[in-house]
Amino acid sequence: MRQELPDWLKTAMPETAAAPDAIARTARNQVESLGLPGLRDEEWRWTNLRAIQRGRFNAPSGVGADIEPSIRLPLDNPLRLRFIDGVFQGVPNEVPEGLTLSSLADADEETRQAAFSPTPAPSVENPNDALVTLNTAMASEGVVIDVAANANIERPIVIEWLDGATESVMSHPRVLIRLGQSAAATVIEHIETVGEQPAWRNSVIVSTIAANAALTHIALGLDGASRLATERSFASLERDARYHSYNIQLAGQMIRREYDIQVGGSGAHTDLIGLMMPRGKQVLDTHTRITHAAADTTSNEHYRTIADDAGRGIFKGRILIEEDAQRIQAYQSSNNLILSDDAEIDAKPELEIYADDVSCSHGATIGRLDQEALFYLRSRGLGLDEARGLLIAGFAQEVIDEIPLVELRDWLTERVEQRLGDRGTAGNETA
Amino acid sequence: MALLEIKNLHAEIDGKEILKGIDLTVNAGEVHAIMGPNGSGKSTLCHVLGGRDGYEVTQGSITFDGHDLLEMETEERAVAGMLLGFQHPVEIPGVKNIYLLKEALNAKREAQGLDEIDTFTFMKQVRELVASMDMDDAFLHRGVNAGFSGGEKKRNEILQMLLLEPKLALLDETDSGLDIDALKVVSEGINRMRGEERGIILVTHYQRLLNYVEPDFVHVLYKGKIIKSGDKTLAHRLEAEGYQEILEEAS
Repeated sequence: MRQELPDWLKTAMPETAAAPDAIARTARNQVESLGLPGLRDEEWRWTNLRAIQRGRFNAPSGVGADIEPSIRLPLDNPLRLRFIDGVFQGVPNEVPEGLTLSSLADADEETRQAAFSPTPAPSVENPNDALVTLNTAMASEGVVIDVAANANIERPIVIEWLDGATESVMSHPRVLIRLGQSAAATVIEHIETVGEQPAWRNSVIVSTIAANAALTHIALGLDGASRLATERSFASLERDARYHSYNIQLAGQMIRREYDIQVGGSGAHTDLIGLMMPRGKQVLDTHTRITHAAADTTSNEHYRTIADDAGRGIFKGRILIEEDAQRIQAYQSSNNLILSDDAEIDAKPELEIYADDVSCSHGATIGRLDQEALFYLRSRGLGLDEARGLLIAGFAQEVIDEIPLVELRDWLTERVEQRLGDRGTAGNETA
Repeated sequence: MALLEIKNLHAEIDGKEILKGIDLTVNAGEVHAIMGPNGSGKSTLCHVLGGRDGYEVTQGSITFDGHDLLEMETEERAVAGMLLGFQHPVEIPGVKNIYLLKEALNAKREAQGLDEIDTFTFMKQVRELVASMDMDDAFLHRGVNAGFSGGEKKRNEILQMLLLEPKLALLDETDSGLDIDALKVVSEGINRMRGEERGIILVTHYQRLLNYVEPDFVHVLYKGKIIKSGDKTLAHRLEAEGYQEILEEAS
C-alpha cells in the first residue's frame, strides 16, 4: 500500500512549474493518488520514507545564497552549477566552446519537454515513479547541460547540491544533460549538507547520449548525517554511446538513489560502479535498472557496500534484456562487507532475459573481514586495528580505483581512510 | 641464550591434539630444516609459533629472544623479530604491496623506538630488493599477492623478510610448488638472510630445497613429535630411503 501524500506536501505546489503546462498539469493530478511509496511496495521493502512522511518540509525560500561548500574537490578548473536548497544559483560566466549551460526555468518549450520526458518513461504503476511524478509536479528549478556534437568538454561540470542551508527545506530540482553525436563530458554531483537542518532533496537527472558520445557521471554523497535524498538518474544511449556512472555514498540519514539506463543502440555500453558506506543509523540504498533494448550492447556493474554500526546498505540491480537484443554481455557483481552485528546489508540481483544469445552473469557476496588476511597483516607487524582498517580501505579501494579522474581517486582514497580512522568514535556524526 | 627455545610443546585444534611434545632449540646463526610427511604437524607448529587463532597450547613453553612467546600477540611477535613466511600467502586486493611493506617496516621501527623511515631511503632499499628477487617494480603498486602466481607469492614472502630483517625467519613450505628458476631465486634470498645474528627455520616437505640452502640441522617431525635430529646428511637419507626407514629406526 502506498502512503498518502502528507498535507504539507499537497499544499506546497509551486505556482510556476518548470515542466511544460500539459505535463505539469497531469503530474499534479496524479501526485495525490500516487502518494508516497510505502513498505509494502516490493521496491521499498528495505527502505522507507517515514522520515520524510513525518517531517514537515517547506519549499525553499531562496535565502542563504552566499553559502559555499565546505568540501573542496581536487578538480582542475571545474564549471560549477550550484544549487542551494534546490535553488539554482546561475550559470558560470564563461563556458568552453561546444558547451551550453542554461537555467531550466528559462529554457524553451522543446528543451523543457525533453527534461520531463525521460526514457524509459516512468509509469503510474511503478511506486518508484511516484517520486519522479512528484518532482515533475513540483520542479521549478533546474539546469540544462548541452554538449554540441563532436565537442569534448575536458573541464568537469560540477553540480553542487548544497542541502540544508535553511530549516526543513525540500527541493525537487530537475537536470537535463544532452550530449550530441561523438561528444564527451564529465558531470560530477557534489552532494553536501551545509547546515545542521534536516533537508530533503528529490532530484531527477535526465541524460540523453547521442550516437558515439560518452558521458561520465560521478555522484559523490560526501556529507550530511541528517540528509534525506531521493535521487533518480535516467540515461538513454543511442548507437555506440557510453554512459559511465560512479556512485560513491559515504553519508546520509536516508539516501535512495535510482538509475534507469536504456541501452538503446547497438554498440552502446554502460558501466555502473558504486560504493556505499553506511554507519551510525544511516540507510544508503541504490537501485539500478539496465535495459538492453538493442543487440550488441554491453553493461558492467560493480557495487560494494561496507556497513558499520547499525548502518544499512541496500543494493538492487535489475538487468532486463529485451527479446530482440541478441549478443548481449551484461555483468553484475555486488560485494558486501559487514563490520558489526547490528549492521545490515540487502543485496538483490534481478535478471530478466528474453533474448537467447546473451552472456550474462551476476554474483553477490556478503561477508565479514577475511580472518586469513587479518592474520597475514598482523604477522607482518600491523596491529589489529590497523590491519582491519587496511582491509576495509582495500575493499573500498577496488571501487575507487575504477574512477577515471586520478586526482579524485587519490582524494577519495584519503577521505575513506580518514573516515575509517575515526571508526567507532564517530557514530552518527557527519562523515 | 638460545634465540628460540621450544619445550615439551603440546597443542590442539578443535580438541584434537596435533603437537605432542616438541622440543627444539634454535640459536642465532643456525639454519634448521624441519621435515615430515603430510599431517605430521609441520603447519600447526608454524601456526602456533605465528600466534594464529584456533590453536590451544595445552602444555609446554616457547621462549623467543627472552620473551614468553605464548603471551604475545601475532603482531608483537612480528615486531620483536619473528617473521612467518606463509605456505599460502594471502591475496589482499586493494592493499598495495608498497603500502604493506612500508607499514610493516615502520611498525618494526616504532617497536625499536626509531622514527618512520623516510620515503627516499625506503624506496631505494625496496627497489634494490625487488631487483634482487628478479621481480618487476610494477609489482609494488599491485595489490598484495593479488593475481600473483605461486612463484611470485613466495618471492614476495622472501622480499618482505629481506626488508624486515627478522631475528628468526620461519618459512612454512616456502619451496612447495616452485619451478626450478623460482626456487633458485627464493633460495638465493634465503642464503642472503643467513648470518650470525639470525636464525632460520625451513619447514619443508621436499629435500630439494636443501640442495640450495644447506641446513646446519635437520629434524624429522612425525605425528606431532620430533623423532630424529641430525645434520644435513639426514635429509639426504630421507630422500634416498624415504620416511619409513627412519621411522622404524626411531621406534
